[in-house]
Amino acid sequence: MNCVEFERVLLEGEQTPEQQAHLNSCSACSNLLADLQLISNQAKSLLAADEPSPAVWNALESRLRREGIIRPGESAHPSFGDLFWRWRTAWLVPVAAAFVLVGVVRLHHPAPAGDNAPIAKQSVATPPVTAAVSSDDQQLLKTVASRPPAQRARYRANLDDANAFIRDAQDAIRNDPNDAYRQQMLINAYEQKQMLYQLAVDNVSEQ
Amino acid sequence: MTDAKRLKGDKLTEAEAIERAKLGDAEAFHALYDLHRRRVYSLCLRMTGNTASAEDLTQEAFLQLFRKIGTFRGESAFSTWLHRMSVNVVLMQLRKKNLPVVPLEETMEGDEEGTVRKEPGAPDERLAGSIDRLQLQRAVDELPPGYRTIFVLHDVEGYEHNEIAEMVGCSIGNSKSQLHKARLKLRELLRMNRAEKAGKR
Repeated sequence: MNCVEFERVLLEGEQTPEQQAHLNSCSACSNLLADLQLISNQAKSLLAADEPSPAVWNALESRLRREGIIRPGESAHPSFGDLFWRWRTAWLVPVAAAFVLVGVVRLHHPAPAGDNAPIAKQSVATPPVTAAVSSDDQQLLKTVASRPPAQRARYRANLDDANAFIRDAQDAIRNDPNDAYRQQMLINAYEQKQMLYQLAVDNVSEQ
Repeated sequence: MTDAKRLKGDKLTEAEAIERAKLGDAEAFHALYDLHRRRVYSLCLRMTGNTASAEDLTQEAFLQLFRKIGTFRGESAFSTWLHRMSVNVVLMQLRKKNLPVVPLEETMEGDEEGTVRKEPGAPDERLAGSIDRLQLQRAVDELPPGYRTIFVLHDVEGYEHNEIAEMVGCSIGNSKSQLHKARLKLRELLRMNRAEKAGKR
């Protein structure tokens, strides 16, 4: 067997006595075989050797959500910290939802029998709600305190806008209890606020 | 990889993650991605030699997997299913870009490249000791695409020649031939690399 014949047998991956005899007498082929085996063995070290950037999962998750493959409203990676924050802040959402409910109930069931001043009663009932809003708003701002300054400022501005809408609508309804347009504006303002709370909680859980 | 493999801090087995992913559970998708992302990405990177393409293909492979996860019945190992799908995604991309998946059918006859025959008096050095992983990685990236595909599929990923022949659409003989040439080419590249390093010292 010469070197060319040896290589042809090597290609087939066979082990023959002739091959072994050639290896014993040919250092070039012997070195070649050792090197090729070394390369083949070391190739396994390339398996799972590299790490994709986090952008890959982010893009993938986004597509899975767009296509509806991931159930809507689910966070893909709730760590212990995320769960803790979600627990800490989840109460904000029902509180905000309660604002909407209170607003709707008061607008559509304004006056108990014999009450001649339904709006006055409504405005009397408003302060505790307003006080609760203020306290909850502080909690919301605390929740987003670790965000980038621009994002924090956006939350603050949106919250101020929602509160301004609520105050304006409440004032208008106090003057004209039958103003359906303002009633709807008040409900919209509470819903906007609820959405802000929801966003804050969801973003915390996704961080 | 077994279905009993625990994911996410002993909270979820792979089998459980698969069943939950079928229901659209976001955490289960992430757990499966976490478990397999390195291998899929490394496969894509080795076969394309380009990080941006490898990331796109990794995303595409997982997307295809998750779209079809409802059809997974467990007849084969999940990892086998995923990696086969990943290979197909990469091969399809290479074909789209008109890159050779495998060189034309050829035999060793008449092909002098990479054979052991040497000119009289030429140095006969072995690749002593182990090969540095990064050096090997760089050498694989320098391989012509056709050689690279076969080398990665066989020596890195562990596919048999009959499986490779089916995947890339060549004969078993061609797969063996390309693998042999790929290894010879790698040996040449690694030796050159060492010679360059030695020359710099």
